[in-house]
Amino acid sequence: MDELYLDNIDEYVNDHNKIVTYKWLSLTLGVHVNTAKQMLFHYLDHKRKESSAQLHATYLVSGKSVDKGQTSHKVSVVREEQLEDCKSKMSLIVSVHVYSVQKALLKDSGPLYSVDYDAVKDNLKDCSRYSAIRCADAVPMSSLELQQVREPQRAPTPEPEPKKTATNGDVANGTSKPAAKQQKGIMGMFATKAAPKNQDADKEVKTEQKEDAPVVDAPKSKPAAKTNPMMNFFGTQTAKKPEKSVKQEEAAQSSSTAEQQRQSSKPEEKPKAAAVEAPKTSKKDSSKTKRIEDSDSEDEIMEKKKRRRIKKPEPDSSDEDIIPDSPQQMETKEKSPSPKKKKEAEPVSHTHQSHSDIKTRKRRRVMKSRTFLDEEGCMVTEKGYESESYSETEDDFKPTKPALKDPVPAKLSLSSKQDEKKSQKKTSANANKGSKQASIVGFFQKK
Amino acid sequence: MTTLTRQDLNFGQVVADILCEFLEVAIHLILYVREVYPSGIFQKRKKYNVPVQMSCHPELNQYIQDTLYCIKPLIEKNDAEKVVVVIMDKEHHPVERFVFEISQPTLLSISSDTLLSHVEQLLRAFILKISVCDAVLNNNPPGCSFSVLVHTRDAATRNMEKVQVIKDFPWIVADEQEVHMQEPRLIPLKTMTSDIVKMQLYVEERAQKT
Repeated sequence: MDELYLDNIDEYVNDHNKIVTYKWLSLTLGVHVNTAKQMLFHYLDHKRKESSAQLHATYLVSGKSVDKGQTSHKVSVVREEQLEDCKSKMSLIVSVHVYSVQKALLKDSGPLYSVDYDAVKDNLKDCSRYSAIRCADAVPMSSLELQQVREPQRAPTPEPEPKKTATNGDVANGTSKPAAKQQKGIMGMFATKAAPKNQDADKEVKTEQKEDAPVVDAPKSKPAAKTNPMMNFFGTQTAKKPEKSVKQEEAAQSSSTAEQQRQSSKPEEKPKAAAVEAPKTSKKDSSKTKRIEDSDSEDEIMEKKKRRRIKKPEPDSSDEDIIPDSPQQMETKEKSPSPKKKKEAEPVSHTHQSHSDIKTRKRRRVMKSRTFLDEEGCMVTEKGYESESYSETEDDFKPTKPALKDPVPAKLSLSSKQDEKKSQKKTSANANKGSKQASIVGFFQKK
Repeated sequence: MTTLTRQDLNFGQVVADILCEFLEVAIHLILYVREVYPSGIFQKRKKYNVPVQMSCHPELNQYIQDTLYCIKPLIEKNDAEKVVVVIMDKEHHPVERFVFEISQPTLLSISSDTLLSHVEQLLRAFILKISVCDAVLNNNPPGCSFSVLVHTRDAATRNMEKVQVIKDFPWIVADEQEVHMQEPRLIPLKTMTSDIVKMQLYVEERAQKT
């Protein structure tokens, strides 16, 4: 071994002020770790003899130590001053060697780690090429073996997913089959109330959940929950339910029927192979599916958006389907099956509500007067029915409202002679509408 | 391959964030290594994947954070020329000055995907160098204190005043006494050059410390 290494180490330690660990030295000079340890030892020895520069060293001590009766193998990095102390505490010393040499007295061991960090990082693939630790069986896997290991890992993970959706296997395999099943499911829901159809509906919804894009996730979850109550709806009308769930069903009814129809058409879109087959099977059902197939998926999204827009104002104006307006709105936008269902649902909903005990907000039609300026710039008050939300606790206030409205039209009719006749006509016409409304003469009589 | 200019403030903020984080770690480490405060208040924490010593004392930490908070806008606009950590003895005469000279290229060109990991590696080397700096420095007298000075280009202090008002952390123009040192010895510690910042660390030490 030539003596150049001494100069190298000297340069690192003194000129660069580096911490020279044996691992770093072996990687830098390309020598086995044991050689590096010996180099450091020699260097230290040499310098100590010369006593030129002040050097500090750390040592690695490895051995068996008995602690409270338990024997353990202990490996520790200690400063030179603590070396003898540490050696004496060990019952059996396996190895002692120089860990690092540096000029500075290190206050803590952090920098020792930092030194090796970058060196190891640069040589990540073969950082142990100079290492003394060897195992014949520890051989890196070839790429083939790696693939084999990874594949079984991938296979178990998809398995849990299909378990959630029972008919996933069927859906995956068949293309026309699920379409037919879904059609049956929809028709089954509308036609009969048998339990198997329930399952079909559930399956349909679940497969939809699996296949559909996450965009429709939120509304989808509603149908999943609602199909069962809906089925029960049609099945048994005397079923007792809390009114809230009834109301939610009713509110979602219109939406759910629309969504189910949408979703039924969606799975037809997704498997592109089935797109050709699906039109043939679904032509009977509704012209809507036909329409959707003709359009692109983008149009489908547009339609969904349209329906969403429609649906959103609906809950605002009509949470519960007592009001006849809402079904009329739905009729214009949806196909024939849904309004029929609505009309069927309404009488059922009435009966359900009568059973309710829970106080919730309802909507009802109330006689209200609207004051506005007509063409001639005269203020006119008209009475008309408007829907309004109320809760049961407000029932007490109902009768007072119509009484207060009477003076208003009376005052306005006196405002201008020209409009007297007009307004009188209007007020009289309005007066005829309500049964609780007092006549216009009543104002003068009460004086 | 993107070329960004100084006007791209987002990137300027990123660089300022990186530098301020580094300066915080460096200041803590200097206080630990130079024994300005007893080592009991420091605990090992991890930064850039290596262990570093950071202080646990809340007021000290808050002071350092407030200092760097005010420096950050200067770094963003490349107005800070030097950030100096001055260690002073009991009479408030500086005994050591750790000078971080910072300069940022006006035209930042990010030419590699591994830019930030490269910068991290360079900052790690700085940290390591600070850890071993007491090999080249004489011991400080007991009872030292420290302060942070910023040398700015031109009249950038106007911007600083805005930040001061917000943070209620006043900065004052340094005394001559604090800035100048008698018979300084210059010891360079580390230099780094990267696409986003160039930094140099050297220590000015007073020849006679005690």
